[in-house]
Amino acid sequence: MSSLVSPSVFAIEEVRRTVLDNGLVVLTKESHTSPIVTSMIWYKVGSRNEELGHTGKSHFLEHMLFKGTDRFKKGEIDLITLKNGGGNNAFTSHDFTAYYFNFASDRWDVALDIESDRMANCAFDLEEFEAEKKVVIEELKTSLDSPWGLLMQELEAGAFKVHPYRNPVVGWLQDVERATVEQQQAYYRRYYQPNNAILVIAGDFQTDHVLARVSKAFGSIPAGSPPSAMSLQEPPQRGERRLIVRWRSKVPRLSIAYHAPAIAHPDTYPLQVLAVVLAEGKASRMYQRMVEREQSVNFVSAEFGEAKDPTLFHIRSEARGEHSIDEIEASIYGELKNVIDNGVTPAELDRAKHQIEAHFILSRERTLDQAILLGQMESIGTLDYIDSYVRNIQSITAEQLADVCNRYLNENNRTVALLLSDGSKDTVDSEEADIEAD
Amino acid sequence: MRRRILKPTDLGLRPTFEVRSETLPNGLKVLMVENSSVPAVSLNASVMAGARYDPEEKAGLALMVSRLLDEGTESRTSLEIAEAIESVGGSIDADGSFERIVVSAGVLNKDLDLGLELLADLLMRPVFPPEYVIKEKERTLSEIRSAKDRPQVVAGWAFNELVYQDHPLHRPSHGYPETVERITRDDLRAFHKQYFVPNNVILSIVGDFRAADLLPKIQKAFGSWPKEKLEFPTYPMPVRQTEKRQKFINMPAQQLNIYLGHLGVSRTNPDYYALQLMDTILGGGAGFTARIPQRLRDELGLAYTTFASITMTAGIDPGRFIAFIGTSPENQTLATQGLVNEIRRIIEEPVTKEELQDAKDYLTGSFVFAFESISQIARFLVHAEVYELGFDYVDKYPRYIRDITAEDITRVARKYLDSENYTLVVVGPVNGNDK
Repeated sequence: MSSLVSPSVFAIEEVRRTVLDNGLVVLTKESHTSPIVTSMIWYKVGSRNEELGHTGKSHFLEHMLFKGTDRFKKGEIDLITLKNGGGNNAFTSHDFTAYYFNFASDRWDVALDIESDRMANCAFDLEEFEAEKKVVIEELKTSLDSPWGLLMQELEAGAFKVHPYRNPVVGWLQDVERATVEQQQAYYRRYYQPNNAILVIAGDFQTDHVLARVSKAFGSIPAGSPPSAMSLQEPPQRGERRLIVRWRSKVPRLSIAYHAPAIAHPDTYPLQVLAVVLAEGKASRMYQRMVEREQSVNFVSAEFGEAKDPTLFHIRSEARGEHSIDEIEASIYGELKNVIDNGVTPAELDRAKHQIEAHFILSRERTLDQAILLGQMESIGTLDYIDSYVRNIQSITAEQLADVCNRYLNENNRTVALLLSDGSKDTVDSEEADIEAD
Repeated sequence: MRRRILKPTDLGLRPTFEVRSETLPNGLKVLMVENSSVPAVSLNASVMAGARYDPEEKAGLALMVSRLLDEGTESRTSLEIAEAIESVGGSIDADGSFERIVVSAGVLNKDLDLGLELLADLLMRPVFPPEYVIKEKERTLSEIRSAKDRPQVVAGWAFNELVYQDHPLHRPSHGYPETVERITRDDLRAFHKQYFVPNNVILSIVGDFRAADLLPKIQKAFGSWPKEKLEFPTYPMPVRQTEKRQKFINMPAQQLNIYLGHLGVSRTNPDYYALQLMDTILGGGAGFTARIPQRLRDELGLAYTTFASITMTAGIDPGRFIAFIGTSPENQTLATQGLVNEIRRIIEEPVTKEELQDAKDYLTGSFVFAFESISQIARFLVHAEVYELGFDYVDKYPRYIRDITAEDITRVARKYLDSENYTLVVVGPVNGNDK
């Protein structure tokens, strides 16, 4: 195997980890290549913490955090961002909720004032809450109008019976509709505390100066009682599950999910390498077979990412022309069997490792990307994970790939979700109605 | 060693970098910026021909050319190309827009020679293997079918048809099923022969290298490419509509996708910067500060996604003024009227001093975010060359913005926006059959 570049391109020794007395974890990473500072705050709460009948709360809360506090009135957070020429956004996942500001480095620290204020003082105005509920419902509907959004929602609900990863992050429509401002506020109080949060600052600043500033902004917020741990565990799957989603499309789509371990489990590294060997790039096995030779699909992908709890390994594909789902499934299972029976070649293994390493380097250019990596790993795992990641990938053998393929990507461990035509007419071509200019 | 490539100024922080610009004897334009912030190099070759030159009966030709470049050259098969670049963890992609075909590569610094070699091979010696031509046609047809499942895509296509009428930009860049069927291997080769000539290509390279070392390698890789006489098809300028045009397409879905707008401006329009400020105030900016998202999303709760812009699609050809909203079917009238009201208001009433100042601070302050990565800088260099912005654009831009007045905003809003004679396309459950 040829040598890889440098395992320390994203050196974790450049990251300083500080814990304030109130439990807030602060990660700082100075880099002076661009005059930009990204500041992010991460709360260790996501849809995995939501109870039955109350799904979508973490995500709804993310929206409410922009609706103002006593100090920053409604609209003011965006206005401050505008006036300072910055960008802001937020995202919620199964595992966490994260907010960020990007500013030029001569004016970025207003972000600290906003984040510390809305950690404790979010206003829950009833009128604002009801108006924002409509926005959240529109967001939910947007995802249901996407074939993959709809299929993934149904797939996760089928693959998990107990664990809350079964629920969509945006929530089930009825739960969102019934959400009350009081419940939402209680949820905020439970999870938005310094001892359940991580502040990440990356970019062009002086660490010592910034730590003093952080301490001043956040130090006075008292620690809360730690939220109780989410303890639901998914029972083992005991055979294939299949589900069909009927939809208006004529193009059959397929998504297969296999139960797989949580972040940093030793099997996650060979599974990540396996995903690349199977379907990353034109030289990959499934691309060569299904897109090139059989020409049965528009694309095929294999995805496996880090999660706090045991998660899913996904294979997705979309049928081309008249090719059937049966044919596509047979090809996918054939390629998996081939890995188990005959292994992968040294060249394939080497290529996959280079792809993972290069991606790791090339995707961390922007301060926002650096902050996301740090915040995500601190919130669902540990920073050590980043440090040892490339080394762990490098050490994977061909035997390990065949082994995890056999143990995880097998029939009894899979949920197969199909998006198939509901028999409706091709509405675009046949039912369009022109209304003449008035 | 880390170099500080950006400096603070009185007009906000902005990037500074030295561009080395060379033209080879065969006319190939080479733009280089040394940047060692990551141990990698970004290469971008832009061929100045795109879907705008496709014959009407062969719409989709330029895009198909771009997608076949990496499917085989005189000395490499499709798989050999993929294995070469993927085995070093690099990437090479080709894509076509209306005005150019771009081949871009990203490699670690140690693999720059390979990246350059592959880039030259794809540009100069693609063979368009017959079996791949057939495959690519099938694939495009299938992808068109798949894209029709998305109401927003369908709405965008219909909107362009009505806005551009006979102008080449009325078509989707991938063409129509019947025009894709007609494309032959000879068409693809002829397109390549006509437009893939060094004097029609801009090569920009940004990253961790020394220009003095790289230039001879570029000369070696591209020097044998012969210069040719260039001829481009001509077509009349599109004309902005003087009447209302509407189209409603029924599709079972949760939301209506509403496009409202008309013909826009080209990137070289002298009012571009005033229009950027107008966009920021009307439908862009940070968060939901602009009038349309503030009113229609934040106050009325009609949408998750709503925006408006005239500069976003400005290119060599005039782009479009687009106001968009995705909303539940019962909101159709309220949403459409809400968009029209805000367009009318910015035409009729001057923007406030504060709105204008905030928009200026936003545009000049956030300018730096367009130069954060080496691939962003590589794209900027091409952009600067094509639209003749000058490489001192990063210094000039804040001044362009600073000099705009509230009267300018009203003037350009009146000149380029129309709240009466617009195109309206609505796709979704227009008959109320929500599903």
